[in-house]
Amino acid sequence: MGATGKEKPKLYESGRRVDGRGLADLRGIKIESRVLNDADGSAYIEWGKNKILAGVYGPSECIPRHDQSLYRSVIKCRYNMAPFSGMEEHGRSGPSRRSKELSKVIKEAFESVIISENFPKTQIEIFVEVLQSDGGTRCAAVTAAAVALADAGIPMKDLISAVAVCKIDGHMAVDPGKEEDNFGESDMPIAFSPRTGEILLFQMDGLLSREELSEGISLARQASEKIRKIQVEAIAKVYQEPKEERFLVIK
Amino acid sequence: MIDLAENRIVMPGELLSEKPERISYAFVDKGKTYSTVVGLFSEGKLVPLEGPYEPLPDDLIVGIISEVKFSGYSVEINAPYVSFLSSREIRERYEMGDAVFARVDRVDEVKNIDIADAKKLPVGRLVKVSSVKIPRIIGKKNSMIDMLKSATACDIYAGRNGYVWIAGKGNQTLAEKAIRMIETQAHTHGLTDRVAVYLKSQQ
Repeated sequence: MGATGKEKPKLYESGRRVDGRGLADLRGIKIESRVLNDADGSAYIEWGKNKILAGVYGPSECIPRHDQSLYRSVIKCRYNMAPFSGMEEHGRSGPSRRSKELSKVIKEAFESVIISENFPKTQIEIFVEVLQSDGGTRCAAVTAAAVALADAGIPMKDLISAVAVCKIDGHMAVDPGKEEDNFGESDMPIAFSPRTGEILLFQMDGLLSREELSEGISLARQASEKIRKIQVEAIAKVYQEPKEERFLVIK
Repeated sequence: MIDLAENRIVMPGELLSEKPERISYAFVDKGKTYSTVVGLFSEGKLVPLEGPYEPLPDDLIVGIISEVKFSGYSVEINAPYVSFLSSREIRERYEMGDAVFARVDRVDEVKNIDIADAKKLPVGRLVKVSSVKIPRIIGKKNSMIDMLKSATACDIYAGRNGYVWIAGKGNQTLAEKAIRMIETQAHTHGLTDRVAVYLKSQQ
């Protein structure tokens, strides 16, 4: 980490990426649902070295009143990086340009799956706190927030997940880490609705050809199916091993 | 301990039926029916495992008076909306913080909620649980709640909104613990028997 100013390492060599993965391999993902006692729904995700906590509140009365809609619930999202979360400039608290952008794209991804017409005049709040970052936090944040929303029992048309694809030394690869993100040729986070295959979040850094783009999307689609399985396991585990208290215990 | 075999646990967006069907907490897209919540699905019925309380007419609820107004009261009922209790046709007077047992009278399309037939509850304690667990706390033909009442000698009012009011001279702490136990194990089988064993062991 802390790659700025360093020499570009060899990202792809003899079938192995910089951390030893193959092109279609994800980093290790662990999700735990229902970890916060006071939130209506919550989830904690460890995705590689990323550590992210997501909490959902609502539906509750929409405050301020001028934000509320008579037709649907207003969805609000706050993505925030802890000052100690990474090696780069995250040292100040409060919203930055980056965190505002990510809050917006995460909110918009969820607006298309939450059935908000059921709760007029209310708000649903999604809070995402990045405790430790290592590339791909927005994808991990979407994945964790989807679990937290399902845990809160908020009606949704789908359980969504997100994953990034990147281009490293001319090869398309899934789920870039920090180094691949900083030195790769391109980075492209995508969120899918697995039921319909719709794309709910799509951003791109760098340049890709048409063929590389479609290869990247199909790689991400395959990876998101794996992520959905992990999400489903995390949600089901809450009911298979019920706990009296909802506190996060790091094993 | 947990038997999910006959009750399939479904996730949001999971296919329930190849045909368009009217199932609560489900939606129809392109002629197929999908779940919207995490729930248990069996025999064409979807029971959510978690979720906010959505008031329906004739629900019996426990509410807390949150504001005294000129013509009635605002009542907090564990929903995203505050309900209104008109003071017409009520003989009692309430103060802020009083607990009432009432019936949901009317809910309109923008979720203005009117409640009626209120009755002030005696001094007691409030246990907040998720509203989807209330049918389990009441049990089939009131079996669970009758057992709780007789074992703890408390008066228990289970509101459909997820507020449970425990009053009376009995063992209120035991009643609260038993309700918490039902809440965490609501989706499991043979719960009434396990609660009976627990209540016996605590007496």
